[in-house]
Amino acid sequence: MAEAVQVQLKKGVLELCVLALLSRQDSYAYEIASRLAEGIDMGEGTIYPLMRRMQTDGLVDTYLVESSSGPPRKYYKLTEAGKQSFTAQKAEWAAFSRAVEAILGDTK
Amino acid sequence: MTRQAFIDRLRLGLSGMPPQAIADAIADYEAHFDEGLAAGRSEEEVAAALGDPARLARELRAEVGLKKWEEQRNPSAAAGAIFAVLGLGAIDLLILLPILMAVAGTLFGLIIAVIAVFFAGGVVFAVGPFFQPPGGTATALLGGIGLMALASSAGAVLTLIVIAFVNALVWYGRLHYRLLKPAIEPQVQG
Repeated sequence: MAEAVQVQLKKGVLELCVLALLSRQDSYAYEIASRLAEGIDMGEGTIYPLMRRMQTDGLVDTYLVESSSGPPRKYYKLTEAGKQSFTAQKAEWAAFSRAVEAILGDTK
Repeated sequence: MTRQAFIDRLRLGLSGMPPQAIADAIADYEAHFDEGLAAGRSEEEVAAALGDPARLARELRAEVGLKKWEEQRNPSAAAGAIFAVLGLGAIDLLILLPILMAVAGTLFGLIIAVIAVFFAGGVVFAVGPFFQPPGGTATALLGGIGLMALASSAGAVLTLIVIAFVNALVWYGRLHYRLLKPAIEPQVQG
């Protein structure tokens, strides 16, 4: 189990960031991509395959919001499963980074 | 790269996928361009920030292949998942291929061996009793059944190993393109 969570953790760093952003407020892909491109250096385009998978996995849901400038925007929000996944992944991340820091702290 | 060039390359990379999936993906990136232009960026800036459209197409394509394998565990889905993972990069292919060949070759050999043992068991069971075996007719019958049962259980274990093998590949592909590539490698203009 713990090993599976570790695997999930490694591949889920980006997913974790998206879950964190959406836990604060619903957002649309362009905004999520801009935030992630600022924070962690990643291509903005990678957000779309990720959002698509998170949607098929049932972590996020979409709804359309009329926009003042142009066509309606597709907003993403966390589903109940998405919220649970965020809580679990956040805890795993905290434990993981503590463990790494403990090891790094030993080296001079 | 202009918006039109980006979309054209993406469409080219996605060709062969279900039309609805292509339309959805194109719509996502068109919307991204609209947002970017509205925010005062140029088409070139938006295209550069998005990354290589051919690579994005491979990621989207791989996602569909991997999803199919998770939903229906059959040989064609397995082949699709493997090719999707291999499609992610030529260098990966060079690293993965020897390992893949070795593992796949070993599994194939074992499967053939199991089938052979099963048929051998059948022959012992059916023909053995007519040749006055050392332990008598019952020994041949039971021995034959034993061999066939052995082959069946080995076959079951092999099936589990093959499934685990393809799952490992799927895991590798996911880890590779979701974490390492986008996070560490700067997105190169295609």
